[in-house]
This record gives sequence, structure tokens and C-alpha cells, in this order.
Amino acid sequence: MKKTMTLNLTDAEMQVLEQLSGKKDLTKTAVLRQALKLYQLVDVRLQQGGKLFFEDDATKEKAELMVL
Amino acid sequence: MASHQVILFDQLTETYVPAELIESIDEAHLQAVDTTWMPVLLRRLQQLVDQGTPRADWPQSSHWDWRQKTERIRGLLAFRTLALTCNGQLQGLMQVNTASVSRIPDQTGKHLTYIDYLESAPWNRLEVVTQPKFKGVGSVLMRAAIEISHEEGFQGRIGLHSLPRSEPFYGRCGMSDLGIDGNYENLRYFEMTSAQAATFSGKEPL
Repeated sequence: MKKTMTLNLTDAEMQVLEQLSGKKDLTKTAVLRQALKLYQLVDVRLQQGGKLFFEDDATKEKAELMVL
Repeated sequence: MASHQVILFDQLTETYVPAELIESIDEAHLQAVDTTWMPVLLRRLQQLVDQGTPRADWPQSSHWDWRQKTERIRGLLAFRTLALTCNGQLQGLMQVNTASVSRIPDQTGKHLTYIDYLESAPWNRLEVVTQPKFKGVGSVLMRAAIEISHEEGFQGRIGLHSLPRSEPFYGRCGMSDLGIDGNYENLRYFEMTSAQAATFSGKEPL
């Protein structure tokens, strides 16, 4: 069962959504669903005590991403 | 996708039989693994131990624990699970991750459905029994992964790391072989593009 909601976005937010939609070859709805999945995944892992890092492929340098 | 009628080929009677593909894996399926899959698998493992067969030649997914796997992803939107039943018995299980991205150069960064785990019942596998029962479990689950990919807006793109003895199967499915992944237990990584998925979906079961 799918539910419908109205989403109010600023111009800047809509612009980013449209850019991601084009870049990822996804509908805007699919982009937002992906964002929700990833946000939940990250939130659960952080709650479990994990940390989120980005690693530079060349230097292998790691930077922790702070998720508030 | 909640429940779908599909077809498997019974190799013992040489007939096509109806089967049911169910989303998602529930407690009854996990109990079926314990009570129907494990006795067959453990009997085979005992034979292999008695014969002195090296561990590397044991059934390749014999260490998988479906209860633990499903517990680990409980409630997470990124993961979906499927069970395939036929003749009142569990014939296959699959877990997919829909928050993964493609590695093929011309579609790098685009989303795909990544098959975390796919397993057929022990009595359907030549590495466990001499006369496997059903053919087509892997193909049905692969098609389901492609269907999930379409549902998610990924246009049929799927990917997976293959256990070594399953590599020829994924090759026959028409997936692109992207080589051994040194960052993932040295397993070979395969991907299927939208075009390859369309071709595979139109094929007879493998």
C-alpha cells in the first residue's frame, strides 16, 4: 500500500532534486525514496555505535562524516 | 510484489510445476530452513567429512545463517527479501539491497538492485544431491531481482558477488564479469545492465 503526500521544497532544494534525478536516472520520487533508505541505514548504524567515513581512493585518507 | 505465481521445472518427473514467490522471508520460512534444508545439508556434510573431502569442496553456502541475515536487516528500507515455495516446501531464498550503485563505466553511480544472498534448497543442488529436484530456482529469483530493480526505478540493473562455483551460472545469465573484487573476499563481481536484463527476462529458464 503506497501513500501520497505533498512535499514543499525551496527553489534550491528542488534544483538539487532535479539535478540528482537527471544524474542518477531516477524519478524525483525515486530519489527521495533512496535518500530515505540511506538516511535510515546511516542513522541505525550510528545508533549501533558505527562511524561514517569517506576514504580518498588515492591517498586512503579517511574523513569522518558528522551526522547530527 | 507481494506474491507471484511462477514456474519451476521438476527434473525428476520432467514436468513444469507452479510455484509461489513471496515477499518477504518470514518465521515459517526460517523454520523451514531449520527443519527441511538443514537435515539434508548436514547429512551431506557428514558424508563429505567421512570421505575426507577438503572444506573448500563442501557446498559453498553451507555456512550461511538465514535467521542471522534477516535479523541484521530487520526494519531497514534498503533491504528486501523473497521466498520461493513449491509443493508446500521452501525452494529458495534471496536478500537484496536497493541502496547500491553500479560499477560498469557507462552507468557508474546509477542505482541498482544488489543481490546480497541467493540460495536454492539443498535438494535442488548438484553439490548436495546426485539428482537435484527443481531446476529454475536461481533464474526465478534473478528475474525477481530484476523486477525489484524496475519497481525501484533502476531500469532492471542488478549486481552481485558470486560464490566461485556459481560463476558459470551468472555468466550464462548474460551478466558482465567485472573481475575479482579484492575488497570483497576475493569474490567475482557481476553486473547486469538494463539491456542485459531485458534479454535475460525474455529467455527460457536456465
